[in-house]
Amino acid sequence: MGKIPPSMRSGRLPIPLLRPPPSSSTSPPPQPSKPHPLLKTKKPKKPQQPSPSSTSPPLRLFSSPDLPTALSLLPSLLSSPSPPDSSSILRSYLSSGATLSSALSLLPHLPPSRPAFHLLLSLPSDLPTSLRILHLMSSSDLPPDPSTADIAVRSLLSSSSLDDALALVRNLSADLSSPPDQFTYNFLIRHLSKSRPISSVYAFIDEMRQLPAGPRPNVITYTILIDAVCRSGNLREATRLLSVLKDSGFKPDCYVYNVIMKGYCMVDACGEVMEIYNKMKDEGIEPDLVTYNTLIFGLSKAGMVDQAKKILNVMTGMGHFPDTVTYTSLMNGMCRKGDALGAVSLLGEMEEKGCSPNECTYNTLLIGVCKAKYLDKAMVLYGMMTAGGMKVDAAAYSTFVRALCRANKVAEAYEVFDYALESKSLSEVTAYSALESSLKWLKKAQA
Amino acid sequence: MAECPKKVASLIDLANLPTTLREFVGQSQISRLGCFIRVWSYIKDHNLQDQNNKNLVNCDDKLKSILLGKPQVDLAELPMLIKLHFPTEPKR
Repeated sequence: MGKIPPSMRSGRLPIPLLRPPPSSSTSPPPQPSKPHPLLKTKKPKKPQQPSPSSTSPPLRLFSSPDLPTALSLLPSLLSSPSPPDSSSILRSYLSSGATLSSALSLLPHLPPSRPAFHLLLSLPSDLPTSLRILHLMSSSDLPPDPSTADIAVRSLLSSSSLDDALALVRNLSADLSSPPDQFTYNFLIRHLSKSRPISSVYAFIDEMRQLPAGPRPNVITYTILIDAVCRSGNLREATRLLSVLKDSGFKPDCYVYNVIMKGYCMVDACGEVMEIYNKMKDEGIEPDLVTYNTLIFGLSKAGMVDQAKKILNVMTGMGHFPDTVTYTSLMNGMCRKGDALGAVSLLGEMEEKGCSPNECTYNTLLIGVCKAKYLDKAMVLYGMMTAGGMKVDAAAYSTFVRALCRANKVAEAYEVFDYALESKSLSEVTAYSALESSLKWLKKAQA
Repeated sequence: MAECPKKVASLIDLANLPTTLREFVGQSQISRLGCFIRVWSYIKDHNLQDQNNKNLVNCDDKLKSILLGKPQVDLAELPMLIKLHFPTEPKR
């Protein structure tokens, strides 16, 4: 308990996407580069294509990935009255099972085209190959443009390593004078801040700043950075970044504040969320559903359920519909206060309003009723979970098993153990350890 | 839940089995966790839980041989009984 459970987190993130996008510059922080058209072209390379071939599956021009056969087919293909473009040829060659290296050998025999290069760059490869393709591009009078860089960086990051992607960016900026655009930049920073210490992220930002036309941090970059430092619990740095953001002439938006609010929840300083909320109101920033959900989550966690309920009224007054996350947070708060029955009745209320509970809701309630010693209610809830094929989380599992053992329902506890393994909710070790320690406790109590 | 690496190791490390247990599981090495799961599924497969009190297991001969020869065991003591076959190595 205390941490934001993963199921809740995933419940929270997609919310901004469901709403109409606010303004183009302020995309939701968890998906800062979503509006980038290239993200869509990342996996299927189709939108890069001229319209006729964009929707159709690859042409079946080659029946085998054999290179000499493919080369012998080429002249007739290219001399036909309406020759297919280079990228269609390459795509159909690849779909016959050809590897990147044989596609690369085919490339010099085709008329150079940007989509063809982009197609090859999007394939899983390593740094030397990507660089070779990029140099081929420049020598074919098709200097890499920002979208080229974006495709290359993204594909290298997913098929190779972050270091390789960074090396590629450095190479692109230095040799080919094509620094990354804002989207690639933010994308890289997001990945950097996930896996590297914040100092190396700052070093990268400085490095890019040195470039003549290099990208600079914008509001989204700062949101990513603030999120990263909040995750590591360094709220002082988050506050510093907020002032840097303001000094660089940006106006913090609701996403920046959402991230900070979440940061306070993570370091168990949930009481502070109200202050951030008031600050937002002072600055005239419109809170969104995530803001309200974070507020209610934080207040509930800090045991201020009454205030959380007040916020619920405010948010409905502002025209936001409370969702599963809202209700689950509120239930969590009520359970903490010992009002497990009230939380269970909220379950009925939320379903009436057309809001369906998720695994996290049930897990929260299960812990609540077990702690309040309503074992019969817990059995009912557990029955609903098994019927729905829902997973139990570690906290709910061990609380429930402990409660069952305490009531000398050992066979039932074994069944829950079986269910946890069967539904792949927990690892064998986690499930067994909790069962064993509960049984040990029971033996001691009986002795 | 934080798990102590030492405790996890005692659960999942393979151990050489004594003859009785070796006959029951049909292999010469198994972890304590694997052994528990094996015994528990044996109980379920052979319907050995007492009809009137599911917490009790009526041992058949095979099960008796590994559970100290007891005719009936409590599910609650099953982990401890199995643990007897996996002595912790003396500290050197």
